[in-house]
Amino acid sequence: MKSQKSNKNTILIGAAVIALFIFAALLSLALGPANISVGKVFKYLFQGRISGDASSTIFWQIRMPRVLLALLVGAALALAGTILQGLFLNPLTDPYVTGVSSGAAFGATLTFFFNMPAIPWLSLLAIVGGFTTLIFVYSIARTRGVLNVYRLLLGGVTMSYLFFALVSILMIKSGRDLHAVVYWLLGSFSGRGWTEVKIALMIIPFLIVPFFFADELNILLQGEERALELGVEVERVKRVLFFVSATVTALAVSVSGIIGFVGLVIPHICRLIIGPDHRKVLFLSIFMGASLMTLSDLLARVAFAPSEIPVGVVTIFFGAPVFLYLLRRKTA
Amino acid sequence: MSNSNAPDSPAAVIEVRNGSFSYGETPALRNVSFQVARGDFVGIVGPNGSGKSTLLKIVDGILTPQEGESLLLEKPVRSYGRKYLAREVALVPQSFTLDFDFAVHEVVDMGRYARKGLETHGLSTDELLEKLEIDALKDRRFPELSGGEKQMVVLAQALAQEPSLLLLDEPAAHLDVSYQLRLFDWLKKLNNEGLTIVCVLHDLNLALLYFESMLVFSEGKLFASGPTEEVLTPETIEAVYGVHAYLHRHAGRTFLTFSPRSRPTRKEKVHLLCGGGTGAHLMRELVDLGYSVSVGVVNAMDTDEVTARELGLPIAAEAPFTPITDEAYRENMSLVEKADLVLLTDVPLGAGNIRNLDSLREAAVMGKDVWVLDGVAERDFTGLATGILEGLVDVRYLRDTQTMLVDLGERV
Repeated sequence: MKSQKSNKNTILIGAAVIALFIFAALLSLALGPANISVGKVFKYLFQGRISGDASSTIFWQIRMPRVLLALLVGAALALAGTILQGLFLNPLTDPYVTGVSSGAAFGATLTFFFNMPAIPWLSLLAIVGGFTTLIFVYSIARTRGVLNVYRLLLGGVTMSYLFFALVSILMIKSGRDLHAVVYWLLGSFSGRGWTEVKIALMIIPFLIVPFFFADELNILLQGEERALELGVEVERVKRVLFFVSATVTALAVSVSGIIGFVGLVIPHICRLIIGPDHRKVLFLSIFMGASLMTLSDLLARVAFAPSEIPVGVVTIFFGAPVFLYLLRRKTA
Repeated sequence: MSNSNAPDSPAAVIEVRNGSFSYGETPALRNVSFQVARGDFVGIVGPNGSGKSTLLKIVDGILTPQEGESLLLEKPVRSYGRKYLAREVALVPQSFTLDFDFAVHEVVDMGRYARKGLETHGLSTDELLEKLEIDALKDRRFPELSGGEKQMVVLAQALAQEPSLLLLDEPAAHLDVSYQLRLFDWLKKLNNEGLTIVCVLHDLNLALLYFESMLVFSEGKLFASGPTEEVLTPETIEAVYGVHAYLHRHAGRTFLTFSPRSRPTRKEKVHLLCGGGTGAHLMRELVDLGYSVSVGVVNAMDTDEVTARELGLPIAAEAPFTPITDEAYRENMSLVEKADLVLLTDVPLGAGNIRNLDSLREAAVMGKDVWVLDGVAERDFTGLATGILEGLVDVRYLRDTQTMLVDLGERV
C-alpha cells in the first residue's frame, strides 16, 4: 500500500519538475532587456529564424544559446554533485573537489594572460586544464588497481589550492584589466553563443550514463566493501562514474566558468524531496539543476538590468541560505 | 569440516590451502589450511586480532591471500567475478552503516543485485521478511531501526542473494540475548534447509550451544579444529585466550564459565573446610582473588567437590555419604599443613564431618591463621564443636562470607 503511494508521489514529483523545467526555459527565453512575449517565443520556436525580425535575431542568436547553456551546465553540475556525494559518501562534496574545475580555471586564465582569442582557446584550454588535472589526481589516488576515494578527495582539494595560487599570480602579473578574468572565474553565461553550446551539447551523452549505474550507486551508499559483497564491481563503477562526473564538470566549467553551490546544494534538495534512491535522484537532479540554473541566470540578467551580475553570485546568494537551513534541519 | 583425504567427503565449498595474509607488515593469517563441506555449520572462534575476520574476507574474495590459495567450489576465489561470487557467497558483516533513508524492503532488495535479470527460485522479499518474522518492518526507514532489527534486515539482505554459503562476522555482537537466540535459531534452521554456514563469534557458550564444528584461531594460525565439544576444552581455551575455563553440564547442556586468571597471583595458600555447597562460591572468589586454594574433606559428588574439581583445585575427598575416614583425614591434613590460612564455612556439622573441626584445631595449634564463620554452635548437631574449639585463642570469627571475602581481598 505504502509503496504504491510512494510510486504515485514519484510520478507527481517527476511531472512537477518537468513542468518547472519547461516553465524556467520559456520564462528565460521570454524575459530580458528586450522582452519577448510567450506567444512570440512559441512562434520563433516553430518557425525558426525570421529574417528582418530583430527580436527573432535576439531570440536565436543571444537568448536561445544562453538558455541552452544554462540548462546544460546546471544539469551537468547537479548530476556530477549527486554522483560524487554518493561515491564519496560525503555530503560536503561538490563537482569542484576533484580539482578539475581549478585546472580548467588555470587553463582559462592563461588565455586571458596571453590575450588569446576566446574562441576557441578559452574553452579549449579550460578543457585541457581540467582533463590534465583529472588524470593527475586520478593517478595519485589509484594504487594496485584500487581507487582510493579519500586520496582522490584530498588530492583534488590540494590541486585546487595549487591552481588558485597559480591563477592569482597570473592575475597580478597580467597588469591588465582583471574584470574579464574575475567575471569568468565567478561563472557567467554572458556573451556566450552557439560555439559554447556545441561544446556543452557533449554533456548530454554523459548525463545518460549514470542511469545505468543507479543500482550500483544505491548499493555503494552502504560502503565499498559491502558493495563488493553484494556483487558490485566497485572499481569499474567508480572509474566510470568518476570519469563521467569529471568530464561533465570540465565541459561545464569550460563554457561557463566556476559557478558555485549548484553542485553542492541541488543533490541535497533532491534527496530531501524524493529520498535517497539514485534512480529517482539522478533524474530529479538533472532537471532541478537545469531549471534552477536557468532561473538564476535570468535573475543575473534582469535583477540589475541593464548591467549583469555573474550567475555564480546569484547561485551563492540563493544556495547559501538554503544550505544553511538544510544543515540546521539535519542536526535538529 | 571434512578431512581432506576422506574418500566420500562431498565436494568442498571452501578450501583454503596454506593461506597467509598480512596487512602491510602485520601478519593476520599464517599458513592456514582447512575445508568446509556443503551443508556444514561451522563456528570460528579466537581472541581479537587472531585473524577470523580476515579469513572471512579471504573466503569472500574481498582480500586475496599473499601466499597459498583460497578456493571456492574447487576454483580459486579470485577467478570469479564479483557478481558470480555474490550469487554463491553472502556475508553478514559485524556492523553495518547506511545513513540514507531507504525503506527496509529496499535494503533487502539490494541483496538481489547480483541476480538481476536471472530467474530466481528463492523467496520474494515479502516472503523472506515474513520468514524471519520481521515483516512488520517492511516499510520502516532503515536508519530508524534498532541495532537488533538492523541485523535481522542485513541477514535478510544476505539471504536475498540466495547464496549457497553464508558467512557471518560476529553477527551477535550488538544483539541482546533474545535477538541472539533468535538469530542463531534461524541460522540452525537455514542450515537444516541446506545452507552452508560459517560464522565468526565471540561467545563460546553460543558456540557450544549451536555449532557442530569449530575452527579455533590464535595469532593468525589455526590452533584447533573439529567437533565443538572436542575442540572447546578448558585446555584449548587457556592456551588461546589465557583465561581459565570451567566446563559444566547442566540440564543436558554443556557450558563454560571463566575466571580472569589462569595462575595464582598471591603467594598465600588457603585451605577451605566446607561441604554441601557452602564453599563453592568462596572457592571461585578465592581463585579470582589470586589465592592458591585447596579443599577438604568433602564428599565426592557433593556440590563443593564438583566445583573444586571444575576449578582444578587439590581436594581431600571422601566417598559419598560416608563419614570421614582416617585416610581422608590424613590427606586433608597434608593440605592443611601446606596452607597459610584455614577457613571454615557455615557447613552444618554432623557425625560425618565433625572431624574437619579436629583439622581446624590442629591448624590453629600449628600456628596457622584460622578463620571461622560465626554461629558454629547453632550449626553443630553433634554437641562436640564447642568442646573442640575451646581454648583456641587465635581463631578469628567473622560475621558472614561477605566480610570474610572483603578481608581476604584486603589481605596483603
